[in-house]
Amino acid sequence: MAPIYLGEFEYAVLLAILHLDEDAYAVPIRELIEQRTTRPVARGALYTGLDRLESKGCLKSRMGDPSEERGGKARRYYSVTPAGLKAIRATHDALSSMARGLESILATDK
Amino acid sequence: MNFAEYVLSTVVRDNELRESMLGDLREESVRYARRFGGSSAARWHLRQSLSIAVRYGVMRMLRRKPPIRWISIAAMEPEGPWWTGLTRDVLYARRAIVQRPLLSFTVVVTLALALAANSTTFSLMDALVLRPYRFAGVDRLVVATTEAQDASFFDRINVTAADFREWREQSSTVRNWAMYQWWDANLSGVDVPEQVPAFFVSPGFFELLGSRPIMGRAFTEGEAQPGQHHRVVLGHGLWARRFASDPNIVGTSVRLDGEPYEVVGVAPPGFTTPDGAELWAPIALTDQQWADRRNENFGIYGRLADGATVEQARAELTTIVDTQRRDNPESNARRYARLMSFTNGMADPGAGAFIGIWQGAALLLLLIACANIANLLMARGAERSSEYAMRLALGASRARIFTQTLIEGLLLSLIALIVSIPLLAIGLGLSRGSIPASVLRFVPGWSFIRIDIPLLLATALLGTVAMVAFSLLPAVQAMRSQVSDTLRQSGRSLTPGRNRQWVRSALAATQVALALALLFASTMSLDAADRTVNGVLGFDKRNVLVAQLNLPERNYSEAETRRRFITDVIDGMRGIPAVSEIGATSIIPNAFNNQSRRFFPEGQDLKEHEARFAQYRSADSGYFSAMKIPLMRGRPFDTSDRVDGQQVAIVSTSLARAYWGESDPIGKRFKLAIDGPWIMVVGVSGDVQHNWFVRQFETVYRPLSQTAPYSVAFAVRTVGDPNALAGDLRRAVSKVDADQPIASLAALDTLVEERAAGFAFIARALGVVGAIALVLSLMGIYSLMAFLTAQRTQEIGVRMALGAGKWQVIRATTKRALTITIAGSVIGAVLAFALGRAMQAMLFGLVATNMSQLIVLAVVLGTAALIAAYLPARRAAGIDPMSALRQP
Repeated sequence: MAPIYLGEFEYAVLLAILHLDEDAYAVPIRELIEQRTTRPVARGALYTGLDRLESKGCLKSRMGDPSEERGGKARRYYSVTPAGLKAIRATHDALSSMARGLESILATDK
Repeated sequence: MNFAEYVLSTVVRDNELRESMLGDLREESVRYARRFGGSSAARWHLRQSLSIAVRYGVMRMLRRKPPIRWISIAAMEPEGPWWTGLTRDVLYARRAIVQRPLLSFTVVVTLALALAANSTTFSLMDALVLRPYRFAGVDRLVVATTEAQDASFFDRINVTAADFREWREQSSTVRNWAMYQWWDANLSGVDVPEQVPAFFVSPGFFELLGSRPIMGRAFTEGEAQPGQHHRVVLGHGLWARRFASDPNIVGTSVRLDGEPYEVVGVAPPGFTTPDGAELWAPIALTDQQWADRRNENFGIYGRLADGATVEQARAELTTIVDTQRRDNPESNARRYARLMSFTNGMADPGAGAFIGIWQGAALLLLLIACANIANLLMARGAERSSEYAMRLALGASRARIFTQTLIEGLLLSLIALIVSIPLLAIGLGLSRGSIPASVLRFVPGWSFIRIDIPLLLATALLGTVAMVAFSLLPAVQAMRSQVSDTLRQSGRSLTPGRNRQWVRSALAATQVALALALLFASTMSLDAADRTVNGVLGFDKRNVLVAQLNLPERNYSEAETRRRFITDVIDGMRGIPAVSEIGATSIIPNAFNNQSRRFFPEGQDLKEHEARFAQYRSADSGYFSAMKIPLMRGRPFDTSDRVDGQQVAIVSTSLARAYWGESDPIGKRFKLAIDGPWIMVVGVSGDVQHNWFVRQFETVYRPLSQTAPYSVAFAVRTVGDPNALAGDLRRAVSKVDADQPIASLAALDTLVEERAAGFAFIARALGVVGAIALVLSLMGIYSLMAFLTAQRTQEIGVRMALGAGKWQVIRATTKRALTITIAGSVIGAVLAFALGRAMQAMLFGLVATNMSQLIVLAVVLGTAALIAAYLPARRAAGIDPMSALRQP
């Protein structure tokens, strides 16, 4: 299968889904990314990103149960596919191999 | 589901995804509400939904993936064959129209009225002016006459037999010729003798005009000989009216001028050429009559040879006539050739001008209507700008929006066309009804005033052109909507860009100008029409009964017999108590014929062609008193004016002034023919309007005792209703000669009105058009002002909150209206003045540009416009400032 290249945002989204495991739906995904990256995330961008990833085959989705709080609307849960995992690893490898040797410069005071 | 969710739903068609999105938004908005409150949350929810929708929509558009089961309202490019896109557009347009019923109704009614006005005039123009004759090959027919060198259009002279015979022999461009001669046939032997307009015609007459009798046959060559010529073809109307459509009429005999004529055929319905003919008989000339070069008796038609043109025929005829003039100097000295196409030659010159003016007015009305509609649509377009912005964001192309707006306009004009058809039927019905029956005979093509396919097509075309014109502006406006502006402003109302405002103001000013011009034109015509009927006529038209007759030459060839007839009838009427005055003349004012002679005053040695024409009448003294024509100087005719004595005349004031200035004309002499006797002026009468379109007041009256006309009109003045004397007059005539028919018997004021009927109708029609134009332009101003004040409600609110008084607000908002009105009135006044001058020239000086009337109209229109502008302003000023500020 041809390698899938991920953009920076897509990479972050997939990692967030990996973090969230069972509870990965749009609302916590966005919150996690915003929290960790300290960058604002537009909901529209998130939905389109999720859509794109799904069409690339990196994600699959399933519908949850409807709830009162959501006005009777169900949640859509996402999970990473094997192909998606492969893409994550490839991206991670690529980025880390680029960064290897520059740890001292890249380190920030957090 | 609220608006935001609705928007999202239209963008995201995947059910599951949509559901999850909506749920996510609700979840988060609940949390938001806990922190910031419910109304904040609602606004947040809206913003987020819209933002998501925009993003998602853009993405989809870029991805160009066909959407799943999207019956979108036109945001996306349609798949499938081209008509699915069109259907979608039409459905969308229908929805847009139905959503704004008041606006759509106004647009449809406005356009329908303007279309109906225009198609009514199209039909009249086509039927009466452009194509009144529709028989086969009419475009190959020509009319040939002669004229004097300086003749006007009215002075066509008929042709002599000898001249015609040479034309027929020598012409190669004209293949067939026909000649005709007017004949006032007295039909007797039926219960009431009747004078029938009839013609003697050459044998090939019917065939030349592409017509054939529906029963029997036309004439043969052999019947065009003296002695064989007592045959007749009856007109269809006459056959139905007097002979009860007898199917066995062919072969029977009728009595014309006291002689039996065999009926050989019946003409087809609607065939009344020339000039309302109801009966035709063959021309039968003796050899001597054929050689006659003096008596100009005949009208001539011709059919062009194959391949020949009118110009060629005209050139050839000119050569022939020039030769005739050279070869026959005494008789043909004044004859010049004139050849025209059939339609031009038979046309009534006035009709074209009049209907043309009405057509112009109708087109102006259409312009005003279009301006109005454009204004209304632009106003709605501005309100829909958020909708357009949304659609643009959701992926619609600007071309798409442009096309759809045009389709909306198309749909509206289609509806307007359908609505205009019954209006058109009403208009045509009114037009037909306005022509009185007595005039109808002389109006060829009247039966073509009807709704037919070509007319509907022409109207549809006009409507489409108009629609494109008035839809372009709103469509362009829609196309240029700015997405970001609209979506960012969640709380502010939109003031349209200055550019757009200028266009709309210009439109409103144009409407005012056009309406003013139209109103002026219509008041001018209404005035003129009124003047022709009720103005100064030179005589008193009330309470006078008029009988017009023609004495046939056969029975009244001696002048004395004619004079005796007249005096006998008058004597017969004198005994009746209701008769206060009675007199006779040759031709009554407003008759269908005219007589003029050249005037040669003594002392001025004028050549034949240098002398001017004067109206020529015969009359007795009773005539002047019956008609109340004043005698300004001198004496009336009396018994001393005998046939063998000094020839005398009474002249009209204009004539006296024209030829003798301020000096006393009594006793001066003149001649009416170069070799005629000297005639002495014994009296000067007031001027009389003979016809509303003949502006000739120079008249010569000769006494009946010295002349003896064949055409006679009796004028009987009574105290009460003149029609009550009709029976008595008929009896008086038939007592003198039982076979003598009366050509026409009517009250004088009826005659005057009927003669001016056509003109009066046009004037009233113009009045209607002017009134509609006025209403439309007022509507235009009102809607523009209403829209502008609604747009500026916030601004008004601010001003009032800052302390502006009600009147200040009104003044500020009406300032624009004032500018529009003044600009429109000024342009309109200039336009109206130009229009008035043009009408004056076109209508033979009948209408007069009345400056004071123009000023009054401008003031009235201006005031009405200002009131129309004031009303919405006043409403705006009455708004509570707080609600104005709060308005989203």
